[in-house]
Amino acid sequence: MMPRRSWGRDLRYLALYLVKRLLALLVTVLIGVYLTIVVANMGGQVDELRRVQIRSEAFEQVRADPAFQEMASAERNALVERRVALEVERLRLDEPFVLRSVDYLQRAMRLDLGRAEQMHSDAGSRRVSDIIVERLPATLLLFGTANLLVFFVAVGSALWLSRRYGGRVDRLVIALAPSSAAPGWFYGIFLILAFAFLVPLLPPGGMVAAPPPQGLAYAISLARHMLLPVAAMVLSSIFVSIYAWRTFFLIHASEDYVEMARAKGLPSRLIERRYILRPTLAPIITNFLLMLIGLWSGAIILEQVFNWPGLGSLLFQAIGFRDTPVIIGGVVIFAYLLAVTVLLLDLLYALLDPRVRILGEGRGGA
Amino acid sequence: MCDALLEVEGLTLDYHTRGGVMRAVDDVGFTVGRGEALVVLGESGCGKSSLARALMRLLPRNAGGLGGRVRLAGRELHPLDDETFRREVQWQGLALVMQASMNALNPVVKVGEQVAEPLRVHLGWERRRALARAAEVFELVGLPGDFLRRYPFELSGGMRQRAVLAMALVAEPDLVILDEPTSALDVLTQAGIMNALKRVKAELGTGFILITHDVATSSELADQVALMYAGQLVEMADAATFFSAPGHPYAQALMASVPKLRQRERPRAIPGEPPSLLDPPVGCRFAARCPRRFADCARLPPAFALAPRQEVRCWLHQQDGMEDGV
Repeated sequence: MMPRRSWGRDLRYLALYLVKRLLALLVTVLIGVYLTIVVANMGGQVDELRRVQIRSEAFEQVRADPAFQEMASAERNALVERRVALEVERLRLDEPFVLRSVDYLQRAMRLDLGRAEQMHSDAGSRRVSDIIVERLPATLLLFGTANLLVFFVAVGSALWLSRRYGGRVDRLVIALAPSSAAPGWFYGIFLILAFAFLVPLLPPGGMVAAPPPQGLAYAISLARHMLLPVAAMVLSSIFVSIYAWRTFFLIHASEDYVEMARAKGLPSRLIERRYILRPTLAPIITNFLLMLIGLWSGAIILEQVFNWPGLGSLLFQAIGFRDTPVIIGGVVIFAYLLAVTVLLLDLLYALLDPRVRILGEGRGGA
Repeated sequence: MCDALLEVEGLTLDYHTRGGVMRAVDDVGFTVGRGEALVVLGESGCGKSSLARALMRLLPRNAGGLGGRVRLAGRELHPLDDETFRREVQWQGLALVMQASMNALNPVVKVGEQVAEPLRVHLGWERRRALARAAEVFELVGLPGDFLRRYPFELSGGMRQRAVLAMALVAEPDLVILDEPTSALDVLTQAGIMNALKRVKAELGTGFILITHDVATSSELADQVALMYAGQLVEMADAATFFSAPGHPYAQALMASVPKLRQRERPRAIPGEPPSLLDPPVGCRFAARCPRRFADCARLPPAFALAPRQEVRCWLHQQDGMEDGV
């Protein structure tokens, strides 16, 4: 028989389990970030581009400077070479890429994201962390609103639908599910066309009106600007979400223990809460948390279409400028968030599901 | 002992399927007395589980209407609306031990809470009192009381089955329907459960309907036996008569298919398969597989009384007690 359980044992097991998971996740983040560094630098090829750029910039500067106009060309070339060498040394381009990549990795892991090469924040800062932090609220607000809306509406109506399985509304939702084949920006284009140009009710893009209004008017302006992108995103994912959750609940509503609960004559609210939602809480929460971290990456095309100043369009610009520190910075933050979320999920699973909690303990104690 | 507890008359249950309407329970009638055990025997697909579902009103979505009459302790059940049925009949009148009860317990709720749940929901008992009662029932079915604090996955198959049985008994229902309660268990565990059932029957006086295909195990508990074939009852008899002198050719074939210890006779399988319920034969449903069929079998036989407590749906028994079979 099983030994009696105690809180002390539970906690000790949980701590051990968390430390193990933490180490595993750290390795995952390390690998992910290193791959990004290698890819974003194209395995060191970006260095060549940079060298060419430095040389042409140095040459232009020397040529344009009236102080050097009278100089002999050999002398001038030597000056250019000196400047190039200086800049190359400053950027440590003379060292092999492998060495520098390890250095990058070390700094990235310490969340020291460094300075951008070309871009700067609207406030003028060149620090990558400033640039990202400035864009973050816009993305979180827009995608948070849309995805939370989709999630809760989908789960709620799916639960309702699973009771009316096969009914008219159910068949309608199934018929509409393929509408999610088109991405949000696709609907966005049509929504802008319809509600900003044909019937000019709402602004076609941006986050607030041009001179930003103050106080309540600011909130109203923000809401008006958010309406179309949120609608586009909801439209592109709501039906397939409802469909997926409804199928999920239908499968779990046919478990033997749910049937048993019906035979016991329990009220249907109780059956839904304790026999359908409670045993499926773990996958629901997983889905929710993964959705939440998905918010942090923004959406490149949707933000471009709506001219929304978020992380998606930032990444788009950074790729255009080949601004590797910004690209890597974005990925590092995302990787850490993902790791923290996964760790949180492991913990929640252990707390929610007695099978994970107690079986794990049996193994840990053996 | 035999005042009627459950009276069933002309019970029917239809399913709508792609192939048409299928009558899974066809004109079934029987009576179970207080403290009595009725065994419903039959091979897979003959409508045994549908009978249990029809009695418990656990109908799948494709079920058509329920027909016939069911009276429990003098009260007509079919006119009751679903809400009243749920509140008043389910679990206090009729309780069920399901066929696949390995998975009949919610994996994330402690066993004790699930066993005590009907008391809290239907009788409004507070938690501590309901759990104390659950502990009593646990002892009755042979489980230690401290198992109440365990989760289902911490119990073996046999223990889980006992826990489900305890759950069925906790609100002291008039009648418990056991749908293949031991089919998924090994022989020793089966014997343990059957012993627990016998003890419960003797101590509580609960009525039982035991649905099974297992002739050998069922004989231990049975007071009466009802044999089902293709949705219909083909024989109804008290246990002693049924096991010693079955009347219907199907019953005889079924008895001959049971392996016996210390006998040279080899068990005989019944050739063929039961007919499709979508398109049942017009006459006797067993005719196609029957070794003794004759011209009359083209018409559906009524039930003939063979002995005071034996009714057989077979033309061979047209003149009372003339043909005794065997």
